Amino acid sequence: MTFDWSILLEEPGQFIIQGLWITLKLSGWSLLFAFLLGLFFGVIRWLGLWVTEPICWFYVEFARNTPPVVQILFWYFSASVLLPQWMFLSLRDIGYEFGAAIVALSTYHGAFIAEVVRAGLNSVHRGQFEAARAIGLSLPQSLNYVVLPQAVRIALPPLVNEATSLVKNTSLALAIGVTELTYQYKYIDNFYFRGVEALTAVTAIYLVLCLTLAGIGKILNWQLSRHLSRDRREGRQVFASE
Amino acid sequence: MQWGRVWTVDNWERLLVGDLFNTGDMGGLLLTLIIGILSIICSTALGGVLGLMRASSNRLLTIAAMLYVQSFRNVPLLILVFWAYFLPPMFGLDISKFLSVLIALTLFTAAYITEIVFGGIKSIPAGHLDAARALGLGRVQTLAWIVLPQAFFNMIPALTGRYVVSMKNTSLAFLIGLADLTEIGKQIGSRLMTAPVEVYLTLLMIYFVVNRGVSLAMRTIEKRGRFNRLFLRV
Repeated sequence: MTFDWSILLEEPGQFIIQGLWITLKLSGWSLLFAFLLGLFFGVIRWLGLWVTEPICWFYVEFARNTPPVVQILFWYFSASVLLPQWMFLSLRDIGYEFGAAIVALSTYHGAFIAEVVRAGLNSVHRGQFEAARAIGLSLPQSLNYVVLPQAVRIALPPLVNEATSLVKNTSLALAIGVTELTYQYKYIDNFYFRGVEALTAVTAIYLVLCLTLAGIGKILNWQLSRHLSRDRREGRQVFASE
Repeated sequence: MQWGRVWTVDNWERLLVGDLFNTGDMGGLLLTLIIGILSIICSTALGGVLGLMRASSNRLLTIAAMLYVQSFRNVPLLILVFWAYFLPPMFGLDISKFLSVLIALTLFTAAYITEIVFGGIKSIPAGHLDAARALGLGRVQTLAWIVLPQAFFNMIPALTGRYVVSMKNTSLAFLIGLADLTEIGKQIGSRLMTAPVEVYLTLLMIYFVVNRGVSLAMRTIEKRGRFNRLFLRV
C-alpha cells in the first residue's frame, strides 16, 4: 500500500481546514452554553432549594446517563415536532444540524459541568458563604466575590477535562451531517480513497487541539494558585478547616 | 403523541434483541450490553497493568504508560474506531466491525482507567508502605496485600463513572454500521417517520435505565463490609 501525503496540500487539505473551522465554531459555542448551563444548575443545586431540586436532579442525571450521540439524534430529529412550524422552516433553510449539535453537546456537558461546579462549591467551607451573607453581601455578590473565586481553583482541573471531552465529542456531530473534521475525513475517504492520510491528519489536529486546551488549563491553574504555599497548591491539607 | 405506534411488541423485540429470532443476527440492547461489558472487563485489565506501570519506579515503564495515556485520551473515540477499522486490514488481518468497536473502546477507556488506578495507588499514605517494609513484606507482597486492597475501594467511585461512560460510548457502534440499540432505534424512527420524539425518548430511557443499573451495581460493592460479605464470605 502506498501513501500519497501530498494530497493534504491539495483540495482535500482545504476540506480538512474547513472541517477544522466548523469543529472550532461548534466547540466554542457548545463550550460557552455548556459553561453557562453548568454554572446555573451547579449553583442552584448547591443552594439546595427543595422546589428546584427534583428538576435539577432529573436534568443532571438524565443528561449524564444517556449517550451524547443519541441526544444529538434526538434534538436533530425532534426539531420538526418540537419547534413551531415557522421557526423550523426558517431554521431548515440555514441548516439546523449545527444548532441541534450545539444544543445536544451543551446540555450533555452542561450536566457534567453542573456536578463539577457543585463539587467545587461544596469544597468551600459553608461558613464562608454564611459570613458573606451576614456582612450584608447579596446572594450574587457573595457568590461572585467570596465563594466562586475559591471554588474555581478546586474545580479547574475537572473543568478543563470536561472542555477537552467536549472538543472530542464534537466528532459525534458527524451522525447528523455537520461538516466538521471527522465528516471531512469520511468525505475524503469516499471521494479520493485517501482515508489513511486524511485520518492521520485529522487525528493529529485533534491531538493538538486537546493538548493545547490541557496546556491552557495547566497555565491557568498555575496562575490561580501561585499565591498559595507549595503544600496548598498541591492539595495537601495544612490546617484543619473546622 | 403516538406512543402506541412506537411501543409495539415488534419494536420492543427489535430494540431488546435485534433480529435474533428472525435472522439470527444479534442486535439491540443485547449487543450494546455485550460490547459494553466486554470492553469494561478488557479495559479494566489493560488499565490495571498500565496503572501499575505508571506507578512503578522504573522510569521507562512510567514514560511508556504516560505516552499511552496522553495519546489515547486526547483523540476522539470515533477516530479510534475508524483507526481500528482501517489499520488491521493493512496488515492482512480480517477484522469484524464488532471487534474493531471493541478494540477501540477498550484502548480508549484503558487510558482513563490507567489514571484512576495510578491515583488509587497514590492515595495510600506513605506510612502504610513503611509499615509494610518494617514487617518484612517484599515489594510484590506490599502491593498485593497492603496497597491494592485499599486502593480498590478508593478507585470505585471513579471507576463507576468510567464504566457508565463506556456503556454510553457503545452507541458509537452504529456509526460504522453495527445493529446496536441506537441503530435499531434509528431504523424504527425512520420507518415511522412522524414520531421522532417518542422513538428517541424511548432510546434515551433504555440507556438511562441501563446506566443507572451500572451505577447501582457498583454502589453495592463500594462499601468494604458489603463487598467482603458478598465476595469473600467474611
